[in-house]
Amino acid sequence: MAKESFDKEIQFLRMLVLTSGAYTRQQFAERLGISVHTYDKTVRKLKDIVTTTHHHMPQKQGQEFADTLRFNYYDSTGPMLLFLFRAKSMKESESYRLSLLLEALNESALTTKELLDLCCTKFPSDLPQPDEKTIRSDLKYLEEVGVIARTVGVRPYRYRIRNELVQELTSEELYDLYAFIDVMANTQVPSVQGFLLRDGLHKHLLHKHPAPGLDVLPFLYKYHYYSRILDEAHLYTLLGAIRTHHKIQFLYFSPKSDKSYASQNTNPNFERETTGTLQKILPLKIVYDHQYGRWYLLANAREGIRKFRVEGMTQIEEHVQVHADYFESKRKELEAKIQFSWLIDTGKPVEVVVRFFSPGKHEPNFVKQRVLLQGQWGQIVEEDEAGFLYKITVNGTTEIKPWLRSFGSSCEIIEPRHLRQEMIAEWKEIATYYESI
Amino acid sequence: MSLFEKIFNYQILSRLEESGTFMITSQERDWLTLMLQHPAATMAFSAETLETLNMLFPKPSLAEALDENLLIEKARSREVQVFHPLLPSLRGHIMHQHGLQIAYEIRNGRMQSAQGFPYKLEYSMVKREWYLLWYHRSNRTLMNTRLSKIISFDLEPIVKDEADRMLAEISRLLESSQTEVTIEVVPRYNQELSRILYAFSCFEKEVSYEAEQDQYHIRIRLPMNEYEYLLSKIRFLGQRVRVIEGDYLQRRMREASRKALARYGED
Repeated sequence: MAKESFDKEIQFLRMLVLTSGAYTRQQFAERLGISVHTYDKTVRKLKDIVTTTHHHMPQKQGQEFADTLRFNYYDSTGPMLLFLFRAKSMKESESYRLSLLLEALNESALTTKELLDLCCTKFPSDLPQPDEKTIRSDLKYLEEVGVIARTVGVRPYRYRIRNELVQELTSEELYDLYAFIDVMANTQVPSVQGFLLRDGLHKHLLHKHPAPGLDVLPFLYKYHYYSRILDEAHLYTLLGAIRTHHKIQFLYFSPKSDKSYASQNTNPNFERETTGTLQKILPLKIVYDHQYGRWYLLANAREGIRKFRVEGMTQIEEHVQVHADYFESKRKELEAKIQFSWLIDTGKPVEVVVRFFSPGKHEPNFVKQRVLLQGQWGQIVEEDEAGFLYKITVNGTTEIKPWLRSFGSSCEIIEPRHLRQEMIAEWKEIATYYESI
Repeated sequence: MSLFEKIFNYQILSRLEESGTFMITSQERDWLTLMLQHPAATMAFSAETLETLNMLFPKPSLAEALDENLLIEKARSREVQVFHPLLPSLRGHIMHQHGLQIAYEIRNGRMQSAQGFPYKLEYSMVKREWYLLWYHRSNRTLMNTRLSKIISFDLEPIVKDEADRMLAEISRLLESSQTEVTIEVVPRYNQELSRILYAFSCFEKEVSYEAEQDQYHIRIRLPMNEYEYLLSKIRFLGQRVRVIEGDYLQRRMREASRKALARYGED
């Protein structure tokens, strides 16, 4: 069986969240490069997971899936899209077995034999009874993912659940931890594991230490890029390849192409044309862009430094390993090149000089506050009552331009000349949009 | 390591929930270990709790710590504050629906004090600071005050009925402050649709598409007091988008373009 990649589900959810119901089924399927039938099947599968993981959620008959996921700021208790990471498919008997084992170990440490006996008595008759070999491999898996551990001592070994966290901390401490996890998962990247942990701890608190108002933490975070957690799905595959100096191969859909996914046909005779391009590169670094909430992969290829948007990468596979020295030299090369990247531009460094204008005397200087917060390594060089001069050396001007433009008339570009001219032309164009109002 | 592990499967999760079994994987443990290295941790826990946590989640080795450089963040606001010492106590008051007598500093540095009913704590990802959202009981208005501007607060117990009444009033006020604006993606920039939709993905919004004209409209729902932030996003995207519904935003965009051109001597 082919490895479950979730590429389709990720592209599907991203499009759904970004366009929130703009497309008909037909248009949606077309843009994803899948059939309407596959579209319907994907919706059914995702709906099933959402209703199981959020069983408190109302499921009106015929309610649109996009509505189910609709972002509502004041009601959101956690990222809805998290359910994607709950989607790994499993046989009913296996999920039953694993939960049964964990439930039993939650009570006391047990041997393989004791666990097998327990499974035999508790297993429903309509599911295939597990044998010792299966139980052993289940225990090995649970040990690998760090959920259980073998106790030291004489044979036969006993297994115990690794839940020291909830054993060692008092209920009050667990509430503090829950709040900390919520804050960190919401304000830092990466965050998916944090959200998963937060979920588990929340359920534990509700069960074992219920307190008034726990159902919803009174924390809000403004503003979040909702779909950022989808791309974390690829993060660990990529980080793994970078750590071990492996090249990777993947099918890339540039964000500007019309299709963002293409079904992976197993029968080559029916293989259809894809708009994606096959890439084989050496991954070097991952960049999270706070301006849009997007992830990038920086890599080395025959042509030199290459940049990819993580959202466009599908069917990622690890390839050959390169020599550590080679990797190191490429990494150093890249680091020298991105030293002055506002985001990821590796173009020629240029000095940008901007005059910022302060608001009136009696107002707080929100312009300066914002420049200090967001101006990265730029410096305020001259300052008077009317405003200040800001200087920064950046690779190219494309990436810094939107940020400068977002200040509206509170800034004037002095250098370089061409950026000044571009900004004038853009404001002229924007002015025409509002001439008639 | 993969985020799509069997162990995270939703059926397992719902069974464990029923039996009240808590489990934690190495992946979650690693994440928490990393977060406990952040300076915010010393503010979030008592020294004693932090000691227990550090024992349960020992610091990663130097080699692993160096690895973090594999992932970098760009265009991020300077991290002024992630956790604030007042968060735990205010969180408790909100969850228990307590009233508070709040003393806080206002713009000109003067102090003010009022009877309030706190309902949320909000973190601004832009300003990287925490705010208390509360209901001003005598003015009957919604307030937001930076935690750094709060001087003191004292408990003022209130009866359940009164708390319920205020909560209803708060949601009524929040609802009535909502407005809707419509932004058009200028069709010549449809190629950049993904970028544009990403930029607006932090708002409560609905997108509509007219296939015949290949035209996208983004309808955004937000309270008036968040217009400044939306405006900065619209200016950020520049000529790619145009406000087509929302008089105030349209006027502000016209004013911004006129004033900007005047700065360049182009008016």
